[in-house]
Amino acid sequence: MLLLFILIPLAVAALMPLLYRINRWLPDALASLTMLATLVLGIAHVRLIAAGHLYYWDSALYGLPIRLSLMMDGFSLLLLLTISLVSFFACVFSVNYMEHYGCKGGYYALFMIMVAGMNGLVLTTDLFSLYVFLEVAAIASYALVAFGQKHDEVEAAFKYLMLSAVATTGILLAAALAYLIGGALGFSELAAALRGGLDARLLALVLALFLMGFGLKAAVVPFHAWLPDAHPSAPAPISAMLSGVVIKVSGVYALVRVAYNIFGLPAGVSQALLFLGALSMVIGALIALGQSDFKRMLAYSSISQVGYIVIGLGLGTPLGIMGALFHLFNHATFKGLLFLDAGSTEYATGTRDLHKLGGINNRLPVTGLTTTIGTFSIAGVPPFNGFWSKLLIIVALVQANQMGIAILAVATSVLTLWYFLLIQRRAFFGKLAVGLEKIKEVPFYMAFATLGLAALCLAVGLFYPWVTDNLIRPGVTSLANAIGVNSFSLFGN
Amino acid sequence: MNPNILLVPILAPLAAGAAALVLPKGLKWAREALAVAASLLALAYAWAVFSAGGDGLRLFVPWTSFGINFDLYARHFPRFILLAASGFSFLLALYSASFMHQAWRSREYFAYFLITAGLANGAILANNFVLLLFFWEALLVTLYGMITLGHRGAHITATKALVISGLADFCLILGIVFAWTLSGTMTMSEVRLEPVGLGAAAFILMGIGAMAKAGAMPFHTWIPDAAVDAPLPFMAFLPAALEKLLGIYLLGRISLELFRVEMNGAMSLFLMTVGALTIVLAVLMALVQKDYKKLLSFHAISQVGYMILGIGTGTLVGVAGGIFHMLNHAMYKCTLFLTGGSVERQAGTTDLKKLGGLGRTMPVTAACFWVAAFSISGVPLFNGFVSKEMVFHGAAETGLLIFPIAAWIGAIFTFASFLKLGHSTYLGKPNAETPVKDARDPGWAMQVPMIVIAAGCVLFGLYSKLPLQHLIAPIFHGNAIAAEAGHGGLEFWHHYHGFAVFSVIAGISIGCLVVAFLLHRYGVKKAGGKAYLASEPVHNLPVLHTLYDLAEARVFDIYEWLVGKLLRGGAWVVWKAVDRGIDALYEHVMTFAGRVSIGVLREYHNGLLANYLSWVVGGFALLAVYLAAVAR
Repeated sequence: MLLLFILIPLAVAALMPLLYRINRWLPDALASLTMLATLVLGIAHVRLIAAGHLYYWDSALYGLPIRLSLMMDGFSLLLLLTISLVSFFACVFSVNYMEHYGCKGGYYALFMIMVAGMNGLVLTTDLFSLYVFLEVAAIASYALVAFGQKHDEVEAAFKYLMLSAVATTGILLAAALAYLIGGALGFSELAAALRGGLDARLLALVLALFLMGFGLKAAVVPFHAWLPDAHPSAPAPISAMLSGVVIKVSGVYALVRVAYNIFGLPAGVSQALLFLGALSMVIGALIALGQSDFKRMLAYSSISQVGYIVIGLGLGTPLGIMGALFHLFNHATFKGLLFLDAGSTEYATGTRDLHKLGGINNRLPVTGLTTTIGTFSIAGVPPFNGFWSKLLIIVALVQANQMGIAILAVATSVLTLWYFLLIQRRAFFGKLAVGLEKIKEVPFYMAFATLGLAALCLAVGLFYPWVTDNLIRPGVTSLANAIGVNSFSLFGN
Repeated sequence: MNPNILLVPILAPLAAGAAALVLPKGLKWAREALAVAASLLALAYAWAVFSAGGDGLRLFVPWTSFGINFDLYARHFPRFILLAASGFSFLLALYSASFMHQAWRSREYFAYFLITAGLANGAILANNFVLLLFFWEALLVTLYGMITLGHRGAHITATKALVISGLADFCLILGIVFAWTLSGTMTMSEVRLEPVGLGAAAFILMGIGAMAKAGAMPFHTWIPDAAVDAPLPFMAFLPAALEKLLGIYLLGRISLELFRVEMNGAMSLFLMTVGALTIVLAVLMALVQKDYKKLLSFHAISQVGYMILGIGTGTLVGVAGGIFHMLNHAMYKCTLFLTGGSVERQAGTTDLKKLGGLGRTMPVTAACFWVAAFSISGVPLFNGFVSKEMVFHGAAETGLLIFPIAAWIGAIFTFASFLKLGHSTYLGKPNAETPVKDARDPGWAMQVPMIVIAAGCVLFGLYSKLPLQHLIAPIFHGNAIAAEAGHGGLEFWHHYHGFAVFSVIAGISIGCLVVAFLLHRYGVKKAGGKAYLASEPVHNLPVLHTLYDLAEARVFDIYEWLVGKLLRGGAWVVWKAVDRGIDALYEHVMTFAGRVSIGVLREYHNGLLANYLSWVVGGFALLAVYLAAVAR
């Protein structure tokens, strides 16, 4: 029942403000349980999807006046699981962390709307619903970025809103143009219509609009400038959601759906994606190196890591897609973890300026340990999960004879380790900074969330064949089929 | 039988080791009980694996590509070694439970002990080179950890052990790479190579790795140091028992299965030379030692020589003798170290000068000692006699008389040094300098392992048909050596070993024992009845004396050469020439370029919305132009 993925969070969102008035703990419990429920619901689909089954839901079957058609393939399911997983830990983390913000009812309501929007986005099968769900998720996230209501936060949210408006305008325009030339909005109908000879220049305009719009959502350089303001300004669990999930769902997922399933990845788009990906990867890492704010560094790092994903998808080879999807999932776990750790650090010490921190590892053992695990994962140190996905991407680049980008990818991975070691050295090791003598480890739920994600980073790294077989492979198969590439060569028999 | 049971002898000790590490410090008895229980469980399953019969159980799980698989295969040879290793682990766990009860950092001891046992079982069962290396290399970690437990300064010896073993393991890895290049497979049971050209290099390198694990010269120098520094059960556990089993097992696999060592071929001569040199040189060092543990440790090296010599002969009797000697050696040397532990524990010292007359107050320990001493010396009716005879026969069969002669020289000095050791410790009058006056036999937990293994020495000596038929002979099942030798090979030992005393070779061996006895008598008399000085006449021989002095100054220690001279000098050159150069490049070029590019990028990220908007629009325009241009 695919509609449940959208309806459950929406219904809970409606209840939240009411529940908050009844009991202060009810929203906490309900939010985490809801995310757990969608996670379980997603996991229930894994077996059949891995066996090649597809799930459909169509409002026409029920005689509803609104036309909505949903479809779940391996790619959608991977994103659904990623969303639920990170949301669950973000909700658990929020139990303690959001105490001092107040108004938890509204917070959780917005959170649930954002999740509902993203769940809808990854299930929908036509351009217009895609746009609607994109906006649902986006509007909730603008409000969440500004949730602290301080000057910086409001300014960041405004910047995010303004630049996103450009993007969504572009996307809407592109959808309208596509409708104009193809006469349909559904992905498969549009793809069929575009197969006939059409005005190549008009098509190029549509593609450029989509690339710009979704590229901005995915924070690909040069469309990235909103992210370093918006992500750090949000409350930590929202930063984790934005960097871990939102940019991938409303940016990468939507971009790939359109580029692969509608346009079949034309060579020009493939080249453009490779170029933009490489640019993001390098520039993001370089600027991250120059930051002194913990969360800002993480935000630039997200730009760099999204670059890896875009490169893999731009390659369009089965191995490249596999590396990209695996990295997408992994990045959600470790970047979610690192943002939560940044939140823990700020919660415990009151600052996230790396120059004011120092030697807190002994005082915050859980945060220190999980940050270290996150660092190893993102820098691609074996056996943590990031190692395998980066390796796959680099191997895929070599296989596709893209030696230049392969070398850049390796070099960037060194840069990544470098700036994360800067965090470790400045904040966690060395001498205890002045004024931090009395800090304490964060409360239970925050520690639980970080430990859970850290365990996930390690477990996925250790049992990566299971993960790639059951979660990643179905996604690769569906994308490879969309562009007519045989993915059998990748998986043997 | 379910092949998954192969995992138990590996995982049970590993899990118990991890648990021992996290159990609260105060729960000593729980940790000791856990160690005994886990090693008993591993032993029980090792027995199940051993008695499974047939070609053996195999657990095969595809791991990654490139032929690297999780592949455990308990064929005849591995399952015999698995049983032996698990048996020693169990008995030593029992001994340690008592011996290490009060020791410093005993928590870590039991954790390392159990992890070592699990890793060793893994290395034995591994049928894939990469898996083998995983277990083999991981053993270095616990080796290092266990030596550091001796006392606060023991980490120096531990480092030495780590460096030497690491160097040898590097050879092993290199050899494996060569073997892999030649055969194209990582699965050990599928490798069949000829030891010529690159194959010879592979054989020699892998052989070095295996022999160094067993403690052959010149990779032995850390063992005597560890005898002084490491906790005693460690010596009985690793250098005496497990490392011999592992090293000789691998050497056996290499020379029987992976490669084929032809009698008197180049590889055969290489092994026999290493074996003969190890026998003679180490036994000469052992002879002049005046410390119980140090003397034993040199014998642990010397006896490896017999095993390598036996395997190197390339004859059925010689190879079987070498492998049988490995088992026997593990038994008697383990017993000897355990008696050493009892003496250290009860008398408070292992310095031979301060010991004496303990046979009266520690009768059980003394009895076990003499059994083991007669075994190691090759006295008829004890197990060492049978296996040494087999090695002598094998060496004689090659026709190169220098090798049996070297082995006989080793036999003379072995017996002489054990007469000295036993005489000065257990016989004679109680010594006034012994720190503890009322030394008694230790508790049951320390006695049982000694008695059990000593009884095994007697059993295997009197009834050698049992191990030869059930443990050794199956190894040669379907092997070319056995096929060549036909029925005259091991059958001979099954039926005639009891009469072997009357052969010429046995006659010479027994003659060697008589010579050793006379030498000891002479030495004691010359030293005025002081048994610990019995070896002085040999010590003071003209050329030997100089050599002994040089050895004392560690001139022959490769570690001193490597770390002391070569490494320091090389490191200085590398530091000046390479490190400083790269540092300058990094300091002046890289950071400058990095700082400039980061600075420029930050300059542009100035927070102005209009600025960012212009990038978006510009980016879009470029994309549109590019895509339109490509589309045409």
